Amino acid sequence: MSRARGGIVLSLALILATGATAAALPPAHNDGILTIGLALEPPNLDPTATSAEATEDVVYTNLFEGLTRIEADGHVAAALAERWSVSADGLHYRFELRPGVRFHDGTPLSALDAKYSLDRARAADSANPLHALLAPVRAVEVESELVLKVDLARPVADLLTYLGWGNLVIMSPATSAGAAAHPVGTGPFRFGEWRKGDAVVLERNEDYWGPRARLARVTFRFIPDSSTSLAALSAGDVDAFPNFTAPENLAALKADPRFEVVVGSTEGKTLLAINNARAPFTDLTVRRALAQAIDRAAIIKGAMYGYGAPIGSHFATHQPGYVDLTARYPYDPEAARALLAAAGYPHGFEVTLKLPPPYYARRSGEIIASELAAIGIRVHLENIEWAQWLEQVFKNRDFDLTVISHTEPLDYDIYARPGYYFGYSRPAYQALLDTLSRSIDPRERTRLLGDVQRMLADDAVNVFLFELPKLGVWRRSVHGLWHDQPVQGVPVAAAWSDAAAPGTATALPRRRAVELLGALTLLTLGLGAAAIARHVTPRYLLARLGSLALTLLLASAAIFVLIEILPGDPAAYMMGLNATPAALARLRAEYGLDARPLAQYGAWLGGMLHGDLGLSYTYRVPVASLVAERLVVSAPLALYALLLAVLIAFPLGLAAAGASARRTATSLMGLAQVGLAIPNFWLGILLILVFAVDLAWFPAGGFPGWQAGLGPALGALTLPALALAVPQGCILARVLYGALAEAQREDYVRTARAKGLTRRQALWRHALPNALVPVLTVLGLQFSFLLAGAILVETVFSLPGLGRLIFQATVQRDLIVVRSVVLLLVAAVVIVNFLVDIAASIIDPRPRQGTP
Amino acid sequence: MSAAVHGKRRDGAFIAGALIALLLLLAVVANALGAFDPGLVLNVDARFLSPGGQHVLGTDALGRDVFAMIAAGATASLGVALSAVAIGLLGGVPLGLIAAARGGLADEGVARVNDLLFALPPLLLAVLLAATLGPGVVTAILALGLFNIPVFARITRASARTLLTRDFVNAARVAGKGRLAIGFEHLLPNLSGLLIAQATIQVALGIAAEAGLSYVGLGAQPPAPSWGRMLHDAQTLTAIAPWLAWFPGMALAGSVLGLGVLGDRLRERLDPRTRR
Repeated sequence: MSRARGGIVLSLALILATGATAAALPPAHNDGILTIGLALEPPNLDPTATSAEATEDVVYTNLFEGLTRIEADGHVAAALAERWSVSADGLHYRFELRPGVRFHDGTPLSALDAKYSLDRARAADSANPLHALLAPVRAVEVESELVLKVDLARPVADLLTYLGWGNLVIMSPATSAGAAAHPVGTGPFRFGEWRKGDAVVLERNEDYWGPRARLARVTFRFIPDSSTSLAALSAGDVDAFPNFTAPENLAALKADPRFEVVVGSTEGKTLLAINNARAPFTDLTVRRALAQAIDRAAIIKGAMYGYGAPIGSHFATHQPGYVDLTARYPYDPEAARALLAAAGYPHGFEVTLKLPPPYYARRSGEIIASELAAIGIRVHLENIEWAQWLEQVFKNRDFDLTVISHTEPLDYDIYARPGYYFGYSRPAYQALLDTLSRSIDPRERTRLLGDVQRMLADDAVNVFLFELPKLGVWRRSVHGLWHDQPVQGVPVAAAWSDAAAPGTATALPRRRAVELLGALTLLTLGLGAAAIARHVTPRYLLARLGSLALTLLLASAAIFVLIEILPGDPAAYMMGLNATPAALARLRAEYGLDARPLAQYGAWLGGMLHGDLGLSYTYRVPVASLVAERLVVSAPLALYALLLAVLIAFPLGLAAAGASARRTATSLMGLAQVGLAIPNFWLGILLILVFAVDLAWFPAGGFPGWQAGLGPALGALTLPALALAVPQGCILARVLYGALAEAQREDYVRTARAKGLTRRQALWRHALPNALVPVLTVLGLQFSFLLAGAILVETVFSLPGLGRLIFQATVQRDLIVVRSVVLLLVAAVVIVNFLVDIAASIIDPRPRQGTP
Repeated sequence: MSAAVHGKRRDGAFIAGALIALLLLLAVVANALGAFDPGLVLNVDARFLSPGGQHVLGTDALGRDVFAMIAAGATASLGVALSAVAIGLLGGVPLGLIAAARGGLADEGVARVNDLLFALPPLLLAVLLAATLGPGVVTAILALGLFNIPVFARITRASARTLLTRDFVNAARVAGKGRLAIGFEHLLPNLSGLLIAQATIQVALGIAAEAGLSYVGLGAQPPAPSWGRMLHDAQTLTAIAPWLAWFPGMALAGSVLGLGVLGDRLRERLDPRTRR
């Protein structure tokens, strides 16, 4: 790097530093609150240890800041470093830190913190995703309290950019270890609360070094389903989606005066990535055939509803130096077929296309499969979760094709990385990048960047599909969010909302709800125990308890074995892509995963007996607290559904049994037969259509939390409970009717009728008590269906319940959560059935004969 | 009341159920012959066509014919449900017979395994299996099949025990036949009617469960059409193309209803315990 370039950078930084302060000065604080919707929940909140984009979305320049930062337009600006200078040879950087900066815990920022953070990121056992980029750093030294020096072994043209990325933020030595769950940074917001599976709340940092943020509180809510995101916006549960995942709904949102739709750019180069190291893709002719078989226009229209610009190489269209290469291998199925034949595959071949979860990948995949089929390539689609994608595709390079968007800016160097998952290795390309990194003349660099793009396009390394658009949707009252996404993150420092509605909600009512729930449970248990003691013989009770314990033991063993053989290393998933073996080993030891399986099983069971369910891998909090948070949604939902089911079953069953006309009974039971055939998740969709979308009586999904009050919380649970209750209620109604009809034929009812009781009196006083036993038994047997159904219905309505916890944990390979929660659900089923048995023996009006 | 009277009066429902079962089978056969393939071809330019005209039930987001997708989707539904029932029969019936014939420890052991399998909701099992085997038809079949085993084991055991008291069993015992031989040679043929009835009901439940699994992405994988995934995909499109949420759901509920009714009627006619 020359003196000239260093000088330019320095003066630019000064201008930006002063300019930023002046421009960002807000006219007035309005203390608004804002709820931002994100599709993915971060696995943890430490951006220096994870490559999860969701983490950056929450923390980038909100909680944590680096020496520099990337501005909305992509420029590098000063952040914690006020100014800097670079030596003429580009090897020595001197950063002057901003004075008066304090971490959220009150400790002042010093150069020692910066040195600690950079050293930690570049250490041998670092889990930092940017670890490799810091390899040229020779030393980081503290010159004085606020001056930091960075020495390089060779020039790094983009060092100031890297330092502005979210993975290289500055933390203090005292708090970095706990950053995953309790992040302490220097940003304009401080960490408030993390409701797992639901939201992260940030509170304004009143002691911020820069202009105070205008929002008092920002809540990031996690809404994984595209279908519920629209409903959440309409219902006002969410004010803004920086990245909306249902492009099909943008047209309707644009037409809606309540919302603003901002389509911006990202750095996401969306690829049909090819394993260049695996036959037949080692052959350029085959890769060319692939390129010419793909119709970018159809994919952009079909999967993205027209959003997204086509690309012809690994380069974002808005970057300086972009060359349009989309016509290099134009869409031409005939030519593609000819190329395949020329390569020796006149009849095509079979491949597997592995698709990670993002909506663009799954949707593009189906179209790509159909287009490749047209030239004779038979594609087997495989939807995989992130953990599997990282493990199989990225790490082990076990794939043919995949669809993925690379969102880091100017990351054409990945094609030169040895062992990168594309399997592309061409010395000429590496030489080209070498020349580029040594080149300083802007015009020369532009030319070389063009060569880079051309070489990747010529070699058809991947099929370059489109630039991922940033589909921002927010209420018109929301201002100051990024329109483009030059770097992963959702900075809210400059955002504000016209609709200021300072929140008064606290966590207190939620705790009260938990306490209430606990008290109710204890009361029920107490009453139950009293009833049992009066009515059931100890011997019977012991026998039943014994078989209960045995079942649970068997279940725990089965679950443990099943989970032991799950593929995918949870430690590797959690630590991100660039974790070193040493760091992984340390983590495994921390979680006791290095022990022998039998010892692990013993430790797990022992812990369970003490109420210790272990520590979640991904969230790094006790599983017990996770379960408790979800239980306050799932348990009331199940009870509510049970109540509604009974309210459906009894009137229906009694009316049918009491009806004097056979025809009435038959049609009522026919109705029940129809009701039980309607799958609960479809019913859920229909209920949303009618009661949430059309009538707007109830929210379409999501859960406001009990702290929002009993009304809104129960309102959010009403449609899901109804969806669960209708089929269950209809089953119960049929059982009740069957039992009542049978009882009515029994002698004692006939006798009662002969003694002058009316049909109705005989039904209520004599038939009903006897019919309750089979109803109760079926209720117990159906309980596992209710739980399973709850998993589905929670998905339909995006409820943060146990079902979703299980799904998420399975996807994230959080096996500690999975095994404990599954065992808890099994225990719930077994215990409910046990209680039902006991209850049946208590209410059974027939005389007891010792042990049943 | 005799079963015959029952049967006669409800013949309408019985016939309707049988018709739906027949339709499902027809759809599977026609799909295997490629009858619906033209409708399954992607054509982005022809997407979201309303029902009527050339596309009776309209087209989906990728321009595929919804009727063809529903008809082709029957293959996944019925395939998974029937395979799962086969697993349930093969695993559950021998278990039930052994438990009934041998009693004692064997009975107790079967009861424990039953309790265990009953306690694991099939969807939960599918989630765990999907994490191990990957999502797909095999996972769905295994999860539902495992769930079916205790269902058939229980019903076999209960009915076999009633049959064990009958004279023809005593006669066989006097003739010197072993317990297991009696179980398989004398009990099984007498149970077949009941098992067929229960199997029909389990197919209905299996179709519903497969749809649920597909809805959360653990069932049949694209591009093979499946009702559950059609419903999932329809959810963001309710404002644009509401028919995408209606028709697959109606096919699903109709199949579950039809097969359920058929199973109930068969059971009323064939169950040795209710036959009087």
